[in-house]
Amino acid sequence: MGWYALPTAVPWLTLTIVIPLSGALLVALTPAVARRVVKQIGVLASVITLVLVLVIIGGFQQGVGNLHLQFEEARQWVPAVGISYHLGVDGLSLFLLGLNALLFLIAILVTSSAAPRLKQFILLLLILEAATAGILLSLDLILFYVFWEAMLVPLYFLIGVWGEGQRVYAAFKFLIYTVFGSFAMLVAILAVAAITFAQTGQLSFDWTVLVQHPASGVWHLPLNLGAIGIPQLLFLGFALAFAIKMPLFPLHTWLPAAYTASPIPVVIVLAGLVSKLGAYGFLRFNLSLFPDAAHSLGPALAVLATTGILYGAFMALVQTDLKRLVAYASMSHLGFIGLGIFAGNLLGIEGALVQMVNHGVIIAALFLIVGMIEQRTGTRDRAQLRGLGASAPLFAALFLVISLAALGLPGLNGFVGEFLIMLGAWTAFVPMAVAAGIGVILAAWYVLRFYQGSFQETPPQPAGFGEMRVADVGALAPLLALMIVIGVSPAFFPAAVEATVKALPVLLR
Amino acid sequence: MTINLNGIGIDYGVILPELIVTGTAIVVLFLDLVIPASRRRWLVAVSVAGLLGALVASIPLWGQNRAAFGDTVVADSLAAFFNVLLIVISILTVLISPRFLRALDLDFGEYYILLLGATAGMMLLAAATSLMTIFLGIELLSISLYVLSGFARTAPRSQESAMKYLLLGGFASGFLLYGMALIYGATGSTTLRGIAAFTTASGLGASSNVLLLLGIGFLSVGLAFKASAAPFHMWTPDVYEGAPTLVTTFMSVATKSAAFAAIGRVFIATFPSIASRWYFPLALIAIFSLFVGNLVAITQDNLKRMLAYSGIAHAGYILLGILPGTAEGFSATLFYIAAYAVMNFGAFAVVTALGAGGERTAELSYWRGLFYRRPFLATVMTIFMLSLAGIPPTVGFFAKLLVFRALVDAQIWAPLIVAVIMTIVSFYYYLRVIVVMVGAPDEAAVDKERVGISTGTVIGAAAAATIILGIFPAVVLNWATHAASVHF
Repeated sequence: MGWYALPTAVPWLTLTIVIPLSGALLVALTPAVARRVVKQIGVLASVITLVLVLVIIGGFQQGVGNLHLQFEEARQWVPAVGISYHLGVDGLSLFLLGLNALLFLIAILVTSSAAPRLKQFILLLLILEAATAGILLSLDLILFYVFWEAMLVPLYFLIGVWGEGQRVYAAFKFLIYTVFGSFAMLVAILAVAAITFAQTGQLSFDWTVLVQHPASGVWHLPLNLGAIGIPQLLFLGFALAFAIKMPLFPLHTWLPAAYTASPIPVVIVLAGLVSKLGAYGFLRFNLSLFPDAAHSLGPALAVLATTGILYGAFMALVQTDLKRLVAYASMSHLGFIGLGIFAGNLLGIEGALVQMVNHGVIIAALFLIVGMIEQRTGTRDRAQLRGLGASAPLFAALFLVISLAALGLPGLNGFVGEFLIMLGAWTAFVPMAVAAGIGVILAAWYVLRFYQGSFQETPPQPAGFGEMRVADVGALAPLLALMIVIGVSPAFFPAAVEATVKALPVLLR
Repeated sequence: MTINLNGIGIDYGVILPELIVTGTAIVVLFLDLVIPASRRRWLVAVSVAGLLGALVASIPLWGQNRAAFGDTVVADSLAAFFNVLLIVISILTVLISPRFLRALDLDFGEYYILLLGATAGMMLLAAATSLMTIFLGIELLSISLYVLSGFARTAPRSQESAMKYLLLGGFASGFLLYGMALIYGATGSTTLRGIAAFTTASGLGASSNVLLLLGIGFLSVGLAFKASAAPFHMWTPDVYEGAPTLVTTFMSVATKSAAFAAIGRVFIATFPSIASRWYFPLALIAIFSLFVGNLVAITQDNLKRMLAYSGIAHAGYILLGILPGTAEGFSATLFYIAAYAVMNFGAFAVVTALGAGGERTAELSYWRGLFYRRPFLATVMTIFMLSLAGIPPTVGFFAKLLVFRALVDAQIWAPLIVAVIMTIVSFYYYLRVIVVMVGAPDEAAVDKERVGISTGTVIGAAAAATIILGIFPAVVLNWATHAASVHF
């Protein structure tokens, strides 16, 4: 935040990718029986990454740099094809980078040392962290695509091998969906580069170049079937990949299976972070490279996002499995983020950016709570849980704070983002803002029913529910702190990203 | 009558690598007669030493342009590129061989002789600049491979495979020879340089010269057969499945590479002036290969057959790089061949490592839960499958990217669209292998063996190369670009 200036000679951003990878390498070299060492290496690597990212956030200066990008690193990679290793961070990615480092630390912390194949589990988590950091930092489209696909493989194994229930089916569904979407994006990437090549005579996949040469033109379908704008077509190619990852209604059908099958550390990352990468992709590519298409297709996507809000909320209402409940709650909240993005105005996008961090914090906390409940009672069935708070007052109190944040109570973080999004949506399309408002009410319903039903009703069942342990509180503490800090200083995040958002091409048109 | 050998350019330096490999084969042949069976390891050592010598001898050819023996062979960067590739494949094959030959009770010295013979033939094919030497190379590699396919003498499937390969291969050779005869009849020359000079000189006349076009057509059939491009692929699944997996490993990558070297020399270097004539048939072959390979691979439950159909599909991708007739396209082709060699060798090597027990191991059902039983093999197989599917960060991704980009630059749309759609289709069958390996462990399947040190090293090196070249493709791409520039 410009509190100090960082030396420019250090490749700060590369380090955030390299440190988790080095951790992974160390884990790979450690014998599998040394379980504690393996976990300690994982924790250490993610702690160092988190500290590094905090240092970067502290040194990030508002409104400085070419296209507001800072700590840029550009090296040739495959010069013959115009592909470069180009990293940079701006208001869009800065706080997500922090969320990335935080959630991976928590995920590794809550991984049980007794987990089966712990070594491979930690190894894959660290590789995944490097890939997701790379996604947030890449400014070359091919580099982005490489990290985007590199994220898929560890996630597939984390769900498929360590998951529960229909893990293989869930992982395969997730894999097929996302691979299909990614490939559509790859084709769009190639086409964008080819179109810019035709304009400039210089083949480049660099975001900073492409963003200054927005694609244009119309593609006339054969047989007089009409015409499609080329930017619109390319927009849809990118949108498919990001909408599947997010997921946007109706491409969400992999989500319940994958979230339910994933072990808790993985679902924290999957719901808390990976879904946000889809939203980030919309901001970084769709809204920046195709601003005109974003305006013409935005309303349609906003309708899908709003449908997702209501669909997710209604589905959450009828779930008895707590993990599925939170999964659908996550989908509903992601709809808000989508609505803010597709509103295409300053308030909406700022709100979406804030809500991306909020959603990561809240959903991670909710899944942690579900995991702790299941660990203590052996069940996730809402009907079998009652009055747990009687013997665990601290647990109940912390859970209450998280629930209130999830339903958007003013003073906690969820409110800040949702309110900005609603304002943005209201100026863009009133009916959808109203529908989203219904989504907020439904959120209060399913969240409070979850809390009250399982923690307040009597008689307690099962009796003797275990209180929070130090480790549990430690895992939740940073998330709770963020909920309160963001809640009481609502201006901080929007102000920090404002310069970048205002420069987004979609707002300039 | 005296034969005057002066002035035809005898220059043994040009074919030194081929000579060394052939010489090694002869040394191994005699060594096998004198050493006792317990010392067969020496054959491996001698073979590897000879191949390494040929590798060293190939390096000075880089950057040269030395034609020799009456313009029938050439020492240039393209030949050096393929020499290095083929020799490395051969060395890796020799290194993983002893263990599995012993396991299958096939530990005979002839195996190494035939392998070296096939390698020499392939190298000759890559350096050939005359119809005669092309035929010589193809026959040398084919005859060695016919025998190798049937090397498991007691296994009926292996015999069947060798028989099919021999009959269909002989048929294809007939096409090849007939095409060559027609081309000679039309142009009056057997050297590619002479033929190119004739076609360029006759200008538009060449593109309506029926004799020449028929000749090119027949020649293409023969070459496409060796590259196992559809519709000349019929032998591939049966031969790949029936032959000892070790042989399939070698054959699937080395033969295809050598065949594409010849295809490059013929279409890119010899007939660029009538590109409008061969473009459409070649595009059809590429598209047909993509369709047949990818669609039929989906239905295969046997991994060797699946990889055979995947190989047909990859022949299609490689051909796509030839279509534009540009330096960019040809270098993409060369890069693709190198990438394919690394990843497909690895994939078949994993099947080999698993297959010492018998044929059943190639069935996909055997692979269920492999991730839990053989984590190393499952992990590297995952890498190879991702690379074959073209998912980064693996070399297969850049191979496809470069070919696609060459097509975009040349504005060749229809084959590109087919390739893109078929790539999505291919995700299904490659990823299915990964999915099966993650599935619940199958308790009934018990492995007898562990992966040996040399096999483990070779497979691990292939996996590492797949990823490292996927992250740093620039070096190999530069080599490919330089090698491709020979003909532009």
